[in-house]
Amino acid sequence: MKDIFKEIVEKKHYRFISGENVSWQEAVRLSAETLVADGSVSPDFYKQIVSCIEKYGPYVVFDYNVAMPHTTENADGAYKSAIGFMVSEKLIDFGCDEDGEKKEANLFFTLSSASSEEHMENIMALSQYFMNEDLLNALKKAKSGEDILAAAAAYPCEEE
Amino acid sequence: MKLDNKKILACCANGAGSSLMMENAIKKVFNRYGIKVAELRHCSVSEGKSAAKNYDIVFCARTFAKNFDDLVKIGKTVIPLKNVMSDKEIEAALQEADLLN
Repeated sequence: MKDIFKEIVEKKHYRFISGENVSWQEAVRLSAETLVADGSVSPDFYKQIVSCIEKYGPYVVFDYNVAMPHTTENADGAYKSAIGFMVSEKLIDFGCDEDGEKKEANLFFTLSSASSEEHMENIMALSQYFMNEDLLNALKKAKSGEDILAAAAAYPCEEE
Repeated sequence: MKLDNKKILACCANGAGSSLMMENAIKKVFNRYGIKVAELRHCSVSEGKSAAKNYDIVFCARTFAKNFDDLVKIGKTVIPLKNVMSDKEIEAALQEADLLN
């Protein structure tokens, strides 16, 4: 399986925020900024993700307060397949889902998908990570690129 | 197996993220049970709404289940999921629907 965290750290696609007074829209923008920095996506790319969540609700927030903000494959301004990783100290409020359940996230994996193959690899790997609670807890405590790699090494995912 | 040769669809908003996760998780369950379906693919809800009548079972995140109410009326199986990447939830839902034998 692809080592997503190595790529995230090498490409500096990670950041840490306090999350104080940050709306979910702003959080999505911040999580995509590291992708804008190296030209993986356009500065406006995040707006498509925001309108998608506005339209369909916070279905991109999964268990364990993990968010995977994303839009369609080959969206405008998605120049490279990449993942913007972000940890927020405070939980970001995404509102409620259709059952009235509160959706909050402090771990962001914001997706840009330009090639189907790479996108598929990213999704396969993320599916494994998102079920690995120990890994997610360790990632939420990360304060540096080294911490991210250490968390990934300490809690590997079992492949089926 | 009841699901052998069936056509299965997984839908999400964009047909890019969670539907692909669903497809992977569904695949795991099918492999576990040795089920050989005729087709398993993912797409967006809007595409799925028109395509779904050609499929036997549609999986989607719970948010999108209401889009497929018409399918239930014509006797198709719609399986809404809370956690789209949970093969355990998919396995349990299929068991509940008596489709894993």
